[in-house]
Amino acid sequence: MTGRGAPPDPAKPAAPGVHPKPLWSVRPASDREAGDAIVSNFLLHWFPAKALKASLDWNYSMWLGTVSAALLLLLVLSGMPLLFLYIPSVERAYASVKDIEYVVTFGSWMRSVHRIAAHLMVAVVFLHLARVFLTGAYKNGTGRGQRREWNWVIGVGMLLLTLFLSFTGYLLPWDQLAYWAVTVGTNIASSIPFAGPKIRELLLGGRAIDQPTLIRFYVLHVIALPGLLGVLFVYHMWRIRKDGGLARADREALSGERREVPPVKTKTYTLLGIASGTSPAIRATTLEAPDATVNSVPDLTRRAAIVVLGTIAVLSILSVFIRSPLEEPANPLVTPNPAKAPWYFLWLQEIVTDTTVHIGSFTINGAFLGGVILPGLLVLLLTVWPWIDRSPAAAAGAWFATSRRTQNLVFIALALAVVLLTLVGLLCRGPYWNFYWPWEQWPEIPARI
Amino acid sequence: MEQRTDSPYPGRDRPVLAVIGVALVVSTVLFIRSDRARDFRYYQYEFRRQVAEKLGADKAGAVPSGIQQVWVPGLRRADRCVTCHQAVQWKGFESAEEPWRTHPDGPLRSHPVEKFGCTSCHGGQGWAVDTDEAHGQVAHWEEPLLGRNLGESYTLADDKAALMQMNCNVCHRYDRETAGAGAINTGKRLVQEKGCRACHVINGRGGTIGPDLTFVGDKAPEQYDYGRLYGQKTSFAWHVAHFKDPRALVAETVMPNFHLTTKEAQGLAMLVLSWRRASVPAEYVHGAPRTDPQTAEEAQAERQMRTGPGAWFVKTGCFVCHSISALGVKSPAQIGPDLSVAVEDVQARFGRTVDDFLNAPTGTMAVVLSRQIILDPEQKAEAVRMLREAFAAHQRQKEEERGRTPNASQGKH
Repeated sequence: MTGRGAPPDPAKPAAPGVHPKPLWSVRPASDREAGDAIVSNFLLHWFPAKALKASLDWNYSMWLGTVSAALLLLLVLSGMPLLFLYIPSVERAYASVKDIEYVVTFGSWMRSVHRIAAHLMVAVVFLHLARVFLTGAYKNGTGRGQRREWNWVIGVGMLLLTLFLSFTGYLLPWDQLAYWAVTVGTNIASSIPFAGPKIRELLLGGRAIDQPTLIRFYVLHVIALPGLLGVLFVYHMWRIRKDGGLARADREALSGERREVPPVKTKTYTLLGIASGTSPAIRATTLEAPDATVNSVPDLTRRAAIVVLGTIAVLSILSVFIRSPLEEPANPLVTPNPAKAPWYFLWLQEIVTDTTVHIGSFTINGAFLGGVILPGLLVLLLTVWPWIDRSPAAAAGAWFATSRRTQNLVFIALALAVVLLTLVGLLCRGPYWNFYWPWEQWPEIPARI
Repeated sequence: MEQRTDSPYPGRDRPVLAVIGVALVVSTVLFIRSDRARDFRYYQYEFRRQVAEKLGADKAGAVPSGIQQVWVPGLRRADRCVTCHQAVQWKGFESAEEPWRTHPDGPLRSHPVEKFGCTSCHGGQGWAVDTDEAHGQVAHWEEPLLGRNLGESYTLADDKAALMQMNCNVCHRYDRETAGAGAINTGKRLVQEKGCRACHVINGRGGTIGPDLTFVGDKAPEQYDYGRLYGQKTSFAWHVAHFKDPRALVAETVMPNFHLTTKEAQGLAMLVLSWRRASVPAEYVHGAPRTDPQTAEEAQAERQMRTGPGAWFVKTGCFVCHSISALGVKSPAQIGPDLSVAVEDVQARFGRTVDDFLNAPTGTMAVVLSRQIILDPEQKAEAVRMLREAFAAHQRQKEEERGRTPNASQGKH
């Protein structure tokens, strides 16, 4: 099935660089048509014409980056209608969210899609980062000019942006959950010596969480941070192409033995672009063997569709059954007990409370250690890790490479510690931050009447 | 024939894609269904049927469908209760089952629904259109429907629907009496009779021994101590129990037990919980008093106490518990003995002089004089002097009385 539409008029010369076919083929009859499908399509132009089978493997990348991108797409799509419905004002924000929840057609479902996608995105982006670490995928392999370490740095930046996007979105409903989660978060920021109070004031637009805070968080949430994330996302994808695809490709190139490849008569499409003429019989790496790759259209695009549409389907079904909570309207005079940060910051809140020491009537606040120093160090370590990692290039793109065993174990241990602390904060902390097992009943929360 | 690379993927991936296609269709059906299937569709269908049956098909055609609301910008309310309670303003459904019942005419005449909405009186969550959410019986909604069910859960004395009067009193708080708000009126009468203002500031006026109660209704439920309260853990339950026996809930309190009946305690609890900050636009409260002034007699009596010969006892706070009848001071609570005879009385009860007792008090006075009323030695001397004066006045009055009615006093002995 080739692209439909009027056949190109042979009398007219083709515009340079413009493909005459209006649509792309989903079932190309030849490699040339498959290549055309990529070149002629705006949405697909960032894909290579041919994709390495090893890179398409479900078990290698688990497609976590694509899932993250699909979630980002869902967040943008569900965020658009919310932009029209939500009113960023202290007086009206809460009521506008109630309206979205109760009377806007599909409003409750849309808000749930947005919320669940946001929560999942934090988790999936972190898992993607863990996958890249554990496969050593930030390492350069065989190609000249590869700069995978910088793509890793961008990735760390995108994780931080994802967290900050989620955190800024937290405030917008202007309910108790929002107000106090942001109180906890910004109070931790204010524990930075000297600059802390100023940073908090900058974030809040004053010394209390009020309208200036709401409008700051709103603009950050809907314009500044998504814009920045979009730019980084595009650069992230571009770098993958410039670095020669996934690190898995380098591993194939390094590990495979050279073998005879039969001469190819026509124009060929390789990872590096289009080469015309007849290729001589050469001793090529496995990478260039004809059975190592498939046409990106339709094999890569089909898998991408599976992942993106699958993510959308799962999110859509989850959002029917999991409704988004909205607590009481924000009340600066009443602190919910316990006041918890968003779940992805709970490990920090847990560390803050665990490092807060009471000696007699003196209190040494753990906010600076647990809320600033420790996460700061971890982010710094993550960022510079590709330069610290001295393992050989052969470790790139391999799960649990033996030459990287120690660093992988340390990473897993740290990740598990973070997960464990998060779970403790999430499930085992009750009123006054006291410890309760998940099956233990909390003291009854009183009502007004 | 141009070259075409073989691929192992279509056979495996196409079925997966097909499954996902099916999942997408299912999810679309699910979310559309979940948005369309709402309780109110049944209630509207049933109401239209009842109207057709009673008033004919023409009238039934006039019953609106879909989400309905009463939007009251002045009170910042969008009450969607009328989505299900469609009969509110229809005549002829007075005996129908809820939610198809006509609203009683009386309250609506003075409080038209277009101007006041529904939730400003009834409570509940006006934004919601599903039963539990709308009636506020869900987490994170602090103003449940103040209806009969809730009243029954508190076993209210007499009128089970009385809780709604708390909302009446948000606008009517300065009325001495509000028509139709019996429980609240009971509470207001008790506030005057028991002299709550001796210890508490209410509406900006009163003593400072107890906490200011002007906006006590805004106090968060978490701020009460439920350690000694059995049963429901709510602010309302706390206040009822506290009014019945303050010391049972707060061991160290000096608030006296007024031995109130359940009905009185419930009325007072409703009254104090209705004392909330409420920004009601002026147009809503025209005709209702905007402040809580004393009547001329009340002001006169208070002036006399404050400026008369017993002024010192009023200023110092003794009068909260003790009358000093010889000096014209009447205690609102009257928990302690009349201080007019303290000079004699202390001697008789404790075998000590008044000076001695004030320097080293025992019992309740030990608590009061160490916490509520702290006197320095000079003030103690002043107290003794004033007590002697009161006793002298008392004896003078007795003499005079004896002189006026010699027979009567002789008859006693």
